[in-house]
Amino acid sequence: MKLTDFQLFCILLLMVAPVAYLETPHTLVHILFANSWLAVITAVIPGLLLIQMYYYIITKSGRPFPQMLEEHLGKVAGKLLGLLYIPLFILVCSYTLRLFIEFMKMNVLPATPISVFIGVLLLVCWVAIKAGLETSARVLEIITIIGLTFGLIIVLLALANNFHPARLLPIGYLNYRSLGQGTLLVASIVGKLMPVLALAFFIDDKKRSLGIMRWVVLVFIPVITLNTMAIIITRGIMPSLSQSFPVFSMVRLARIGAFIQNVDIFFIGVWILGIFGAVTIPWFMACYTTQQVFGLRNYRFAAAPTAMTIGILSIVISRNNLEVVIWSQKITPYVYSFFFIVIPLLVFLVTLFKPMPASKSADSGDLANPTSA
Amino acid sequence: MRYLSHKNNSPAAAGAPSDPIRERLSPHLQENLDQLQMLLQGCSDAVIKEFKFGQPSTRGLMLFIDGLSDKKEIEANLLKPLMLELNMQEQGGELEGPDLLTFIQEQVLPLADLKPVESLEEVCHHVTSGDTVFLIDGYTSGLASGTRSWQGRPVQSPENEIVVFGPKEGFTETLRFNTALLRRKIKSTSLKIESMVLGRISKTDIAVCYIEDIAPPQLVAEIKKRLSAIDIDAILDTGYIAELIADNKWTIFTQTEHTEKPDRVCGAMLEGRVCIMADGTPMALVVPVAFPEYMISPEDYYIHFIPASLFRMLRFIAFFIALLMPSLYVAIITYHHEMIPTPLLLTIAATRQGVPFPAFVEALLLDATFELLREAGLRLPRAVGPAVSIVGALIIGDAAVRAGLVSTPMVVIIAFCGIASFANPSYNASIIIRVVRFGFLFAAGALGFLGIILGLILMGLRMASLSSFGMPYLAPIAPFNLQQMGDIIIRRPWFTNRKRPYLEGMKNEIRQATDHKKEGDQ
Repeated sequence: MKLTDFQLFCILLLMVAPVAYLETPHTLVHILFANSWLAVITAVIPGLLLIQMYYYIITKSGRPFPQMLEEHLGKVAGKLLGLLYIPLFILVCSYTLRLFIEFMKMNVLPATPISVFIGVLLLVCWVAIKAGLETSARVLEIITIIGLTFGLIIVLLALANNFHPARLLPIGYLNYRSLGQGTLLVASIVGKLMPVLALAFFIDDKKRSLGIMRWVVLVFIPVITLNTMAIIITRGIMPSLSQSFPVFSMVRLARIGAFIQNVDIFFIGVWILGIFGAVTIPWFMACYTTQQVFGLRNYRFAAAPTAMTIGILSIVISRNNLEVVIWSQKITPYVYSFFFIVIPLLVFLVTLFKPMPASKSADSGDLANPTSA
Repeated sequence: MRYLSHKNNSPAAAGAPSDPIRERLSPHLQENLDQLQMLLQGCSDAVIKEFKFGQPSTRGLMLFIDGLSDKKEIEANLLKPLMLELNMQEQGGELEGPDLLTFIQEQVLPLADLKPVESLEEVCHHVTSGDTVFLIDGYTSGLASGTRSWQGRPVQSPENEIVVFGPKEGFTETLRFNTALLRRKIKSTSLKIESMVLGRISKTDIAVCYIEDIAPPQLVAEIKKRLSAIDIDAILDTGYIAELIADNKWTIFTQTEHTEKPDRVCGAMLEGRVCIMADGTPMALVVPVAFPEYMISPEDYYIHFIPASLFRMLRFIAFFIALLMPSLYVAIITYHHEMIPTPLLLTIAATRQGVPFPAFVEALLLDATFELLREAGLRLPRAVGPAVSIVGALIIGDAAVRAGLVSTPMVVIIAFCGIASFANPSYNASIIIRVVRFGFLFAAGALGFLGIILGLILMGLRMASLSSFGMPYLAPIAPFNLQQMGDIIIRRPWFTNRKRPYLEGMKNEIRQATDHKKEGDQ
């Protein structure tokens, strides 16, 4: 089983973009107010450094993640770390799912119990896991194309109706500590590209993963920058601070003529598509890591038990929307940073002193095939 | 009882011939005659004529099926040469020896299509196919002459694939006419028409057609392999074959394209695909096929590329309207009222006042009624079918609205949806839409827009997991191929259409030798 370059691009973009689209501008506004969009732009530098680090690890590794942990850190340490990544990916799924549910509950279907949301979304994602990465990747391609197009159109529509660029001022009045904090926050989101350590081995030539990751960053950064700017331009700082999902409020302002109004339902539709990707990919990673760590014959075997765990964790992870916001500001950036940046950094440092693997072992052949492994 | 008689249901018992029939013909004509009479017992349409010919007189036997063979041709080109002209030719000599059959074949019978037959099985196959078999006493082989002739439907315009521009002819129920229609369009020896017989009892003639210089050899081999693996009593339509050779059988998404149009088949073959035709049906199968190709009409390539592209885009829109419109309406009315502008919402609310059903039930009832009318319109006699459909649509619809059972917007939505489903050039795609639409209706009724989106994802996953003879079912949308997309959403102009659509293993990708666009620019 192989992925095309475009499929890898779509998978990686969906790993970082959908949650960030809804969540990051709000968190950044809390940190940097009118200058929050600057933090997204400055995150290009750590973002590109991060992907360079991932790429270096990929080139120095003969086996995909999590086996590469054993390859570089030794069997015991690698196995233990690999084991830790299973709950991490489950946490990413659960948190993404919960964020989505809070959003749906607040804005779309307030009377529907959250267990229904969790059940149906998990069912769809479970079908995707069972269908296999190749099938899921094909659907994710379509989702990315639709998501990017409609996401951009909706933001432009909102901007066209409520264009107040003066709200971005003053640009020069910057708190550099906050800028650094905001930059790290966005960089931690770019860190969610870490599954590339496994997925790069599924494309024809893993060396092309660098270009793909660069494209992801070059699409992700402008999209989030535009989104953050659009919130400030259309809503202003104070309303954005007081709302849990200012992006959604911005979208509600979009109108086409005097007839089409409240196009937020389309935004919700696009966002659901994105969330499907944002849950399916870490879930696949959780299953794949489980397979590799425990030496299972097929990663699909882990789909059912992890589904239960994700479902229950997404319910118990927080009691209300406020706790979800606290998670997004106080917990996930640090957890993600540790697992997606610090540990890969450690692996990177180890690989610095290791020779390049033999060409045969570096080949992304059957080893990378999750169905055969 | 079904289980008790299990042994008798085995394929061998059902249709496989007994061993003597497969053995070589006996040199004694009487033995062959006895066997044939036993085999053809109860076949009142079988004609067995015994006669004598030559000097010294030799016993001969002629066998054909009345109604399938041309009697005049038999009399003029078989009986007359043997019984009259042969006697006149050979008045001076004797007609004996092992060369008699060859002599008759080469010098006596003025027929182009003469084949040797050597077993009773072959004799029966040729006779039931409309050929006339000629056996001679003392020989273990005979001759089968192509005298097939029966009253068949002439070449007419296909009823299910109406076009304004382009060829109007359609396939008929006679395989040989159909292959001739292909040959008329592609006058090349590269067009290969390979024959095989399927069906233990029906012995249906099958033709596998492809262009040797273009079609991927592994695709042709795979198709022949899958066809050879079919072991069924009868093939009455290509629909049997479509189900039996599909990559994924447990799905509503058909992986073969059905068509009655020779130009469509030729177009597909020129893109490297393979056509399967069966005797007795005008429907040809084209494989492999991807779902987006269902939106393509052959007419697109006969008109100017700009209107063709617009029409094609319209068809894609119509596809989504037909698939999602009732469910979107139900979702909006039930869960997302805020999306509709207030004046329109008030209008809808006014029309829905007094309707006893929720929007979901209303849509379900009306959509089911519409499908019922459509099905009834198809099955009713031609003279009353359209009248009943119109009466059903107008009278029942109007009466239902007046009675307050359904609202006017719902009637409009379902009618619009029905019209949109007719815009699709493929009947297969139309069936898929009609069935899947109900699933979306349930999803919208349960979860509103969320349900529709999740339904779309599930549908996408199912479709993405399918393939047609190895070709991804959603290609070139997923896996995404920008170059191929140029002839899917829009119709690529002929002057830029230099390459054929990508098909793995295709022998010749180049459709046009020169790039007219560049020449024009210069």
